[in-house]
Amino acid sequence: MAEPLLSVQNLSVTYGVIRALHGVSMEVREGEIVCVIGANGAGKSTLLNAVMGVVRRESGEVIFDGKPLPRRSYQVVAQGVSLVPEGRRIFSPLTVHENLMIGAFPRKDMRQIEEDLEWVYGLFPRLQERKDQYAGTLSGGEQQMLAIGRALMSRPRLLLLDEPSLGLAPILIRDIFKELKRINGEGVTILLVEQNARQALMLSNRGYVLQTGRIVLQGRSQDLLVNPDVTAAYLGKLKK
Amino acid sequence: MGTLAQQLINGISLGSVYALIAVGYSLVYSILLFSNFAHGGFLVIGGYICYYTLTVLGNNIWVAGGLSLLGAGIAAVLTERIAYKPIRERTNITLYLLIASLGMSIVIENIFVIVAGGRFRALPPVIPTNPVHLFGLTTTSAFDLLSLVVAFVFLTGLQLFIVKSKWGLAIRAAAFDLKTAGLMGINVNLLISIVFFVAGMLAAVGGIFLSVRYTLYPQLGGITIKAFVAAVVGGLGSLPGAVVGSLILGLAEMLTAGFISSQLRDLVVFSLLVITLLVKPTGLFGKKPTEKV
Repeated sequence: MAEPLLSVQNLSVTYGVIRALHGVSMEVREGEIVCVIGANGAGKSTLLNAVMGVVRRESGEVIFDGKPLPRRSYQVVAQGVSLVPEGRRIFSPLTVHENLMIGAFPRKDMRQIEEDLEWVYGLFPRLQERKDQYAGTLSGGEQQMLAIGRALMSRPRLLLLDEPSLGLAPILIRDIFKELKRINGEGVTILLVEQNARQALMLSNRGYVLQTGRIVLQGRSQDLLVNPDVTAAYLGKLKK
Repeated sequence: MGTLAQQLINGISLGSVYALIAVGYSLVYSILLFSNFAHGGFLVIGGYICYYTLTVLGNNIWVAGGLSLLGAGIAAVLTERIAYKPIRERTNITLYLLIASLGMSIVIENIFVIVAGGRFRALPPVIPTNPVHLFGLTTTSAFDLLSLVVAFVFLTGLQLFIVKSKWGLAIRAAAFDLKTAGLMGINVNLLISIVFFVAGMLAAVGGIFLSVRYTLYPQLGGITIKAFVAAVVGGLGSLPGAVVGSLILGLAEMLTAGFISSQLRDLVVFSLLVITLLVKPTGLFGKKPTEKV
């Protein structure tokens, strides 16, 4: 089997005296959509932030494309990993277009950047309509599109998403997840963490269940969807 | 009428020099959310580099000015690396940075007391200060006009850098959310160094003009307290605010000096600060603090 694109081995993270991750191991293969589900405080965001170098990795390894991933965020982005942070974190005083250009910051080739701008506008035509508006004036769904588009502007091989469904209406969540499927179809590998377990499992190929800083369950998403432990803890009753 | 026009020009000229210093306060504040009180030190460093270059290498203001800007810029970057970076990497509490900056301002001032001595020095006469008649209306000094023009050129340059360049965009993004800017592939430490370099350079320009206006001495940096007031009046963190606040301050100072009493000018300046803090603590163009988390 081919080497995974991202491999997290025995990763631990502590905040002061509190240990947020206890030796987490997981992997993402090229072309996959992988989700990590878990309750609030399980360590899902910490996992992504540790991969990005936002929080210090206390021990363990993060291997990307066969090489250890650097420890500083800007170097991680340069390697081809980008994050759509929790709560979107768009730059509201900048225009939509400027937000997207910030996403392309580490890149030099203006022609390639222009092409990717067209690509992102193609994925999210709403952003093109509003490209000169201040990002702060966008609706929640549009801001999420912008946050995803901004992360794509670095041309990542691996896109990390932290709770993309947070605070969005169900119909918008469906739209966003449909776009993620399309982005994945265009060759971007995706790792997303979600509290919205059902949507995340329906979108992804494989899933991990994170509980108080440990991976307690993993498998194909379609299997997790019908796993009694998962349904009881994260999915509630299935509608008949 | 002649006096009024003269005082207006003097006021705008003084205000424009304050603006060069005030935008440095605001730039640093917008990224790191603390008032860098070592900023006055950068101005003094610029002034002394200019002075010694002129006296040692001869009266070439272009060489002296260039070296002065470069030296103050580098000094600002070093100050950040030595005194602020270790703190900001350990804590988010900006009060520590503020205290460190107070310390650095004392350090820089006393380095000059020891190395250059405490006496007042006049720059060699490379900047013209002869009187100029303006359209027969009024008389002002060439120095006032020159500092106005130079300040305008540098502030325009800063504005172009911030609005048009790639790093300018990064600085605007970082001013809103430094942490997320790091996620965009921006080397945050390099960005902070660039901000300090620019702030130090502009302080040096102000320092050269203030050394001509008031002579040069190690405590000259104390004058930045007025530029700081201007930045607060305009709204800390806002560059247009810093410029507008500086012009208001310069005009208030010169009009007070011209028509009431020159002893009252500082009283007026600090009354403006008190009024701003009472009426609109965020200043004229200030961001709401709630926008920053």
